[in-house]
Amino acid sequence: MEQIYKRNNAKNFILLSLFFFIIYLCFLYLGIDFQRFFSALGNFGKLIANRYYPVDIPYALEPGYLSSILDSIQMGYLGLIIGVIIASILAYLAAANLTPSKRIGYPVGKFLIIFARSIHETIWTILFVTIVGFGMLAGTMALTMYCIGFFGKLFSEELENVDMKLVDTIRSNGANEFQVFAYGVWPQVKTAFTGILIYTWDVCFRASTIIGFFGAGGMGWYLKRNVLQLEYARTSAIILSIIVLVIFSEALSAYMRDKIYKETQ
Amino acid sequence: MSGYNLRAEDYTKQNFSKILKKIIFYTVAILVIFLSVYFIIILDTDWHRIGSGEGILKQLSYFVGLDFKIMPYLIKPAFETFLMACLGTMLGLIMSLPVAWLGAKNVTPLGLASFSFARMLMTISRSVHEIIWALIFVGAVGLGALPGILALAFRSVGFISKIISESIEGADKKPIEAIRAAGGSGFDVMYYGIIPQILPTVIGTIIFEWDINIRRSAVMGLVGAGGLGLAFFRQMHMSNYPGVTTVIMFIVGLILIGEVLSHYLRKRII
Repeated sequence: MEQIYKRNNAKNFILLSLFFFIIYLCFLYLGIDFQRFFSALGNFGKLIANRYYPVDIPYALEPGYLSSILDSIQMGYLGLIIGVIIASILAYLAAANLTPSKRIGYPVGKFLIIFARSIHETIWTILFVTIVGFGMLAGTMALTMYCIGFFGKLFSEELENVDMKLVDTIRSNGANEFQVFAYGVWPQVKTAFTGILIYTWDVCFRASTIIGFFGAGGMGWYLKRNVLQLEYARTSAIILSIIVLVIFSEALSAYMRDKIYKETQ
Repeated sequence: MSGYNLRAEDYTKQNFSKILKKIIFYTVAILVIFLSVYFIIILDTDWHRIGSGEGILKQLSYFVGLDFKIMPYLIKPAFETFLMACLGTMLGLIMSLPVAWLGAKNVTPLGLASFSFARMLMTISRSVHEIIWALIFVGAVGLGALPGILALAFRSVGFISKIISESIEGADKKPIEAIRAAGGSGFDVMYYGIIPQILPTVIGTIIFEWDINIRRSAVMGLVGAGGLGLAFFRQMHMSNYPGVTTVIMFIVGLILIGEVLSHYLRKRII
């Protein structure tokens, strides 16, 4: 018994030192100075205390900035609506058990969802800004792509979990593709759809606050301007307002999900 | 039983008001949506710059094709991005352990004070976007991979510690009490009673967060941290559009590798 214990200890020690050695190699490869790494937290605290601390709250209450918040919110739900409509179709194609054509529809739907998902929303924004120019159209399109990836993945997983017995019964009674969806699939996934929809809205709103940084409108544009002008007090005011809004949206989405959950019980 | 004694006219009345409410709700919603479409998309867009559909197609056609010349220069940034995600997740895990300990109702040491403090830290970490974290850390520690790692770590703390503290709260109380009854200290309770119970959830969460962090670390370069984001930024500013497509292909490839790896790892553990 003791021998096993000792052997395990030695094994753990070797594994642990190997682990630290690998991390050391990673740091060397990335060119990170250890002194800089260990003083990072102190520097972070210093930066917050010296530059960001006196928060310029009146700046966040100016009408120009407030209207940009409204822009961000609108951009968020427009992207959400368009994205969810497209994503629902793609998710139906990409659900292995329901897809109308296994050979073409399934891989196409799956690929498009994965593609939309793997590119970060900021990169989508930059791409759309180059194509359609600065402004909120680019932001809405970027959020649409983001929603396709996010909603499509969750919803297609939900569709893959539906009870196929009901669906097969309806199909064997001679229902067409639309009827199968309306009477067999939709009642089963309705609650999940609403839940995922609210969750996606939450995430989408969070993304919409930042995409303005790369040329879409809204709050992000104010953030970019103040970062470039080194107006730290204003930047911290904007970051604070984003935190407040995100907390608010999170609370709202939690409340709505709770309500829907209770209604279905 | 009164619910079953509704007369027919009551029923229709109730139904009618319900339908009316629904109609009003949908009309308002559609009106709001149309107004935002008008203000956000129609008024705000510079339609002249876009021109016709042909203009958009022309703009899109710049992106078609791959730039093979820059491919050798992308391997190091891709590896950097990958390492940044790994180290960021690891650092995030280390930082989220104390936060999770404070934020679990049943083990928090100072009652409501430490609990709400930890919850506040979690919320701040989750609600600040990774780009903003990266901006702050580029200001604090300078350019390079380090601010990216720190930004990813700070961003991951919220999610990881929330899941860990929730699973601590949901842990089975019997082994904990048994250890306490046998005279175990707080550390013993944590090490022998709680950690074995929550380990599978924690590992699953870390793999999930790591998968997301690969995606995030690919954009850290846009604000000054290294990796593929920086390569993307450079190609974009040089207007080398095929190069941009190449970088995007690299990002997609990296994320696919991450997804396959995380799928495989999760299957092996669970």
